[in-house]
Amino acid sequence: MASYIFRRTLMAIPLLLGITILSFAIIKAAPGGPVSMLMDPTMKPSDREKFEEKYGLNDPVHVQYFKWLGNMVKGDFGNSLIKRGVPVSELIMNRLPNTLLLMVVSTLLAALIAIPFGIYSAMRPYSKLDYTVTVGSFLGIATPGFWFGLMLIMFFSVKFAWFPTGGVATLNAPFSIWDRIHHLILPAIVLATADMAALTRYTRSSMLDVLKQDYIRTALSKGFKEKKVVLKHGLRNGMIPIVTLFGLMLPSFIGGAAITEKIFAWPGIGSLFIDSAFQRDYPVIMALTVVSAIFVVIGNLLADILYAIFDPRIEY
Amino acid sequence: MTALLELKNLKTHFKRKKVTIPAVDGVDLKIHKGETVALVGESGSGKSITSLSIMRLIPSPPGEIVDGEILFNGQDLARLSDNDMCKIRGNDISMIFQEPMTSLNPVLTIGEQIIEVLMYHQKLSKRAASLKAIEMLETVGFSRAKELIDDYPHRLSGGMRQRVMIAIAMSCNPKLLIADEPTTALDVTIQAQILDLMKELSKKYDTSILLITHDLGVVSEVADRVVVMYCGQVVEEASVDDLFEEPLHPYTIGLMGSIPSLEGDLDRLYSIEGTVPPPEHFPAGCRFSPRCPHAFDRCRNEAPVLREIGSRSVRCFLHDDKEATK
Ligand SMILES: Nc1ncnc2c1ncn2[C@@H]1O[C@H](COP(=O)(O)OP(=O)(O)OP(=O)(O)O)[C@@H](O)[C@H]1O
Ligand code: SF4
Ligand SMILES: [Mg+2]
Repeated sequence: MASYIFRRTLMAIPLLLGITILSFAIIKAAPGGPVSMLMDPTMKPSDREKFEEKYGLNDPVHVQYFKWLGNMVKGDFGNSLIKRGVPVSELIMNRLPNTLLLMVVSTLLAALIAIPFGIYSAMRPYSKLDYTVTVGSFLGIATPGFWFGLMLIMFFSVKFAWFPTGGVATLNAPFSIWDRIHHLILPAIVLATADMAALTRYTRSSMLDVLKQDYIRTALSKGFKEKKVVLKHGLRNGMIPIVTLFGLMLPSFIGGAAITEKIFAWPGIGSLFIDSAFQRDYPVIMALTVVSAIFVVIGNLLADILYAIFDPRIEY
Repeated sequence: MTALLELKNLKTHFKRKKVTIPAVDGVDLKIHKGETVALVGESGSGKSITSLSIMRLIPSPPGEIVDGEILFNGQDLARLSDNDMCKIRGNDISMIFQEPMTSLNPVLTIGEQIIEVLMYHQKLSKRAASLKAIEMLETVGFSRAKELIDDYPHRLSGGMRQRVMIAIAMSCNPKLLIADEPTTALDVTIQAQILDLMKELSKKYDTSILLITHDLGVVSEVADRVVVMYCGQVVEEASVDDLFEEPLHPYTIGLMGSIPSLEGDLDRLYSIEGTVPPPEHFPAGCRFSPRCPHAFDRCRNEAPVLREIGSRSVRCFLHDDKEATK
């Protein structure tokens, strides 16, 4: 198993390199340079050249790329162009825990609700509960996250004032776990809703497929109660595609969380991405692109490993 | 002698959009202690549904046992609560299936799949159950059973998996083993080994067997008695010797006429003309009449009953008068 993980990790390196080249190229090709953002109307064209000189923007493209890559490997993503002098790595590290927290909580919430409902729907297909769950999940999939978030804020924050409108914690208040949870609930619900809906559908169809298998009939013929058959013999098999899905969903958490983070003023990676994109803060955009790419690769790696753990038929 | 299992007028129907499908429509059948009874008949005649009814494993909805009794040791399984039935399944009555490749759970070890039954029914400790599991695997012919219990099924061949299925089924020393075409999916040589094993175990543990098969060659090898099914009903029932010596029902005679030569699974080559009608279109009168070479007017208007003739029974008007022979 260890050597399998090692081999898979090695295989990820060329993939990552490719991604860095691609993201570098795309950013280079995008219109509007960083310098135009730094210039203010009082500056002379000669100042512009000085800027370009200073930031190495006159070097040949490949030199720029290798410089950037070399620094990055050392954990140096450069400094933000907008927040002068703040290292990009610091910006990201300040934000990453918030995103991870939101991600983990909303995913757990989604899984805890979606998987039991999906299983039950599969056990009683076309029952009233199954129809209810199906309609519910389609609503969840169809509801735009930003609209749902705004509705929650409108009712539960503004109208009833049950929850704060945004942020991770009350400003200038001492740290309190309850305060943190209080801030976490609405954005986590918004993120969980979309995942939950999709996850319910996946669980249902996976379990529906599994429960038709011959080994389920074998388990029933052993005299086990339905619940034991479904949970012991069905779920282990039904979960194989689902855990894989989790690995593949990992990177989408970052992108998918961007709008929600923005709406709830949640200082995470997603909202940093949006802000930097609007401000053309190149070092931050590129760093985040690479970080997302790393997440994609880790997600795939995780999916493969989970698959190998859950399915003894996989040879590694 | 009272039978271990007796089906009386068993009817299992499926309901689909107001159409009733009488898959099993009045089956009478007896299995005595230690006896091997073969259940034969063409595809779609209701053999599997009969056996699943005994196990009470008919998918419901749409299926339902609508009438009749399933007397097992005098107790009517058709009316038993689900909970009580769970105590019988896998313990007193167990079952093996046609597809050994897919009948074992791919994500559980072979050991676990035997151990779980022993712990559940025999209330053995995990340790005692593992020892017993190893013993069972040795009994069904595995030499390296100790290592095998930690293996997953995917490495085993079909024949070996069917041995594992037999080990699971026999682990609680059941009184009745139902085997639904247990060798159909296997090579001819492996088929013989599996049948020998079943025969041997049935003797050793005094277990009765209900063997469902297409293959009359298999029947003559292992069965004591034969029950022939057609269109959800029993049309003939006799000891193996009687049946092969003198089949009475035109359908049985048709089946006999098409016993394939030694090798090859030629069960689709029945020489009986036509095909089994689907249950929703069972003909009136004798259900075999559209295909029967001896059919006469009465056959098309009146349904014959299963009639005892000495030690055997047959459902055919041609043998109405033979009652007196013994
Ligand atoms: N779930 C179901 N819904 C409706 N009808 C069914 C269902 N299962 C079986 N049947 C009907 O029951 C009839 C008998 O099926 P069964 O499986 O018992 O046949 P069989 O004798 O075992 O045939 P085979 O030799 O092919 O296994 C079939 O004709 C089929 O139409
Ligand atoms: S009753 Fe008539 S149709 Fe039916 S099997 Fe006998 S002879 Fe043939
Ligand atoms: Mg069958």
